[in-house]
Amino acid sequence: MAAPIRILTAVPICDGHDSAINTINLELVHHGIEVVYLGYNRSARDIVRAAIQEGVGAIGISSYNGGHVEFFAEVISLLKKQHSTHIRVFGGGGGTITRADAAKMIRRGVDRIFFAGTPLSEIVSYVKANYGGKRRTPNVEHRTSKELEVRRFSRCIGIAGPGGVGKTTLIDELVLRFLQENQRTRIAILSHDPSIIGKGALLGDRAAMIYSQDDRVFMRSLATRGRAGGLSPDTAPWLRSLKRGPFDVVIVETTGIGQEAVPFSRKVVDTAILVLSPDYGSRLQLQKIAMLDAAQIVVLSKADLSGAPTALADLEQRLNLASGPQQLLAAIPKQHRDPGVDRLFAELTK
Amino acid sequence: MSALASICGAIAAHRRSVEAEVQRAKTDAAFRDELRRRWQAIGRNIGRTTTPTGIEVPRFPLPQTDDPGQMARFLFGEGLPGSFPFANAAYPEMYLDTADAEEPTRLFAGLGLAEDTNKRFHYLTRHQSSIRLSTAFDGPTLYGLDSDTEGVFGKIGEGGVAIDTIEDMERLYDRFPLDDPHFSVSMTINGPAPIILAMYVAAARRQHGKRGVKKLRGTVQADILKEVQAQNEIIFPLPASLRFLSDMVAFTTSEMPRWYPISISGYHIAEAGATPVQQAAYTLSNGFAYVELFRARGLDVNQFGPRLSFFLDCGLDLEYAVLPRVCRQIWAIGMRDIFAADERAQRFKLHIQTSGRSLVASEFKNNLTRTAVELLLAYLNATNSCHSNSADEPFTTPSEEYVRLAAHSQSILLQETGLFKHTMNLFSGSPGLKALEGTVESAILEEFARIDRLGGVLPAIEQRYQRSQIQAAAHRLERQISDASRPIIGLNKYAEKSGTKSEPRVIRTPRARKEMQVDRVRRFKRRHAGKAGHALDDLARVVEGNGNVFEELLRTVQWCSIGQITGRLHDVVGHYRPAI
Repeated sequence: MAAPIRILTAVPICDGHDSAINTINLELVHHGIEVVYLGYNRSARDIVRAAIQEGVGAIGISSYNGGHVEFFAEVISLLKKQHSTHIRVFGGGGGTITRADAAKMIRRGVDRIFFAGTPLSEIVSYVKANYGGKRRTPNVEHRTSKELEVRRFSRCIGIAGPGGVGKTTLIDELVLRFLQENQRTRIAILSHDPSIIGKGALLGDRAAMIYSQDDRVFMRSLATRGRAGGLSPDTAPWLRSLKRGPFDVVIVETTGIGQEAVPFSRKVVDTAILVLSPDYGSRLQLQKIAMLDAAQIVVLSKADLSGAPTALADLEQRLNLASGPQQLLAAIPKQHRDPGVDRLFAELTK
Repeated sequence: MSALASICGAIAAHRRSVEAEVQRAKTDAAFRDELRRRWQAIGRNIGRTTTPTGIEVPRFPLPQTDDPGQMARFLFGEGLPGSFPFANAAYPEMYLDTADAEEPTRLFAGLGLAEDTNKRFHYLTRHQSSIRLSTAFDGPTLYGLDSDTEGVFGKIGEGGVAIDTIEDMERLYDRFPLDDPHFSVSMTINGPAPIILAMYVAAARRQHGKRGVKKLRGTVQADILKEVQAQNEIIFPLPASLRFLSDMVAFTTSEMPRWYPISISGYHIAEAGATPVQQAAYTLSNGFAYVELFRARGLDVNQFGPRLSFFLDCGLDLEYAVLPRVCRQIWAIGMRDIFAADERAQRFKLHIQTSGRSLVASEFKNNLTRTAVELLLAYLNATNSCHSNSADEPFTTPSEEYVRLAAHSQSILLQETGLFKHTMNLFSGSPGLKALEGTVESAILEEFARIDRLGGVLPAIEQRYQRSQIQAAAHRLERQISDASRPIIGLNKYAEKSGTKSEPRVIRTPRARKEMQVDRVRRFKRRHAGKAGHALDDLARVVEGNGNVFEELLRTVQWCSIGQITGRLHDVVGHYRPAI
């Protein structure tokens, strides 16, 4: 079976109009397409960097705040500079992009502008008909062969946990600390999101990330494509490739996992972190979480919630049952400069 | 239990108390007689107007009834215009012809550089006795970025005016009397609202001195909760944003008594695709959340309460026939019974803008009709002020031709037609509207109950509740338009065949103007390089301590651009993490 079509969608810088793109993303996903969604208020640089890293066939830009002629041109010019014109560009902006603008944009290399009133099905069929070809996947080793000569010790951190506990936020905050600690540090992130059965996937982790949109960060979003347990059939080859790459740190984020899942063993990652929030249910539920035994560090996120003290006490008892030395940390990843995240970072870098 | 559950309880209790009065009017002879006397006295005091065609009508017709129960239900359940619970209007006379009537028309403008918008403002207001400027800002300003930030060049002056510094602010309102009682300004900005208002106040102070500041009239939108829920123009994390806002409100409450420091907005919630009920429910619940927040900051509800105002969308869905009536009642009852607010703070002061989302690019002149109908609904619902969209808005910053048509549609409705200037309450009280009012109120209260079960407005935001509901509604709406089950004339129904589609001339900011703005902000920063660093350090210290950030900003803006200020604030408090 051919690999699903992958595209990246985004809303330009200084533009928060995400209503149209949210609807279009869902339509595309329901029709089997994997959509890497970068979110709103994104610069052309961020968009192009992400598109290249993610190996997408095309970039869809939804612009409602004006300046689209310049913005699309900037995206195309950056793609050219990066020798990545195989990544196509299309977009729309309701009525804000006039037919005259569209003609100008198409002359400058945009494939297609959709006008207000275009049926959603037309957008879906266009994407399917035009961006389904064989993709060129970026080869991390090839692209950075120079840096390979100065091979660094790369450390692999796995981050698992149920959906909605704040894994992505935690990673983004760790990335900020890694980047600030050393101006040369390079980081790779392998993030996972579930495919919808028989359909595509919305790969949306990037949309909530602030600090990971950086030239020193490589990120690849993988869809599970039918694999259970939090990872993708492509995880292993990507991880091998990233570990050989010029990265000081490789971070793997699972999808939201169930109680029985143990997505990575200690052979795969150097440090396995399990993130839980206080709302895991009753104390009994903790007994069933297999990853509690496999993780070296357990992070209780959302430690500002009222259930946190109880959860910490329960976890402390539960972890005493597990084999081997384990650490328990409380953190509030959403908080700027959270001391809990600082402690985790210190633990990871010692 | 959050305040919302208590508010639901208060509304149910109020409805019960109205019914108890109705029963008493039927059974208690003394009360019945008193009601009749009151009713007749009210009737006698209502003035009468003679229309140009020579008929005489009461300025406010009371329901025609001799049933004391009906009298009680009207007086306690709806209230006369300007009386609790304000179903009919927040104020007694509204748009009736009077000598000193203020025009409720507001015109939104913002394009290019500050002097371009200034010119547009002077053009728009040349025939107006009272000057009401409503300002739109461009994308970089809305996100707190300087015009010379990498990657924003194309956005400079598009969709609004570019404001980087206090000098731009001075240019923006040049040759307007900022301290005049007949002048007011409204600024549609949220994330960096405290910075922009600080620029305005500091500019006014340069012009009129400290005493001029006390006289400033206007509104800054500054509604950060709806940004998280719908519009996505928040730049600092929510707790920091709310602290900056509270500091600003504390300042305006004591120093700028005629200022409206927050415009609690459902407009953007509706524009993001929410249903009318969602719009009302989230706007009102956000409003109550602000009241709790400002009270926690130590402010007196009777001081800041009268300075809260609301901003709603008016579209073409049926609910818009009653939405403001329902909102006024919920707000008044909640403020009186839960927050012990006095009558001035119970009034739901409302600005309406016709729906931008209802306008379509295809066969765009149909938008004139859409906006006219929305305007009619807005005025039938006794809005306090109103902005009508230009028909060419789906494409561009409106052109002068369509701005003029939009403004005139309001004048036609209020001045040319006899619908609003001779008599009030022309349509309220019909069985259809009554039924709709009940349905809409219950639906809003159900939504309150759901938010309450999640722990209140802020915990619900944390759980992405409002966002998820709005997105689902938007998705349903788009699907209905896409499969034409919701007819949009000229788009999915009766559409012209392609090839004959007309588009208006669009206004864009020329490249040279954009370059000029980039150059301006760079020169400003060079000129103040010596002082900016210290000013930013002082600001950071206040943010890290407990001082009033807004008061410090009044100093910071003298030497620093908006981007320098937001940059330093990001260092201290971090960035807002986008929700999807």
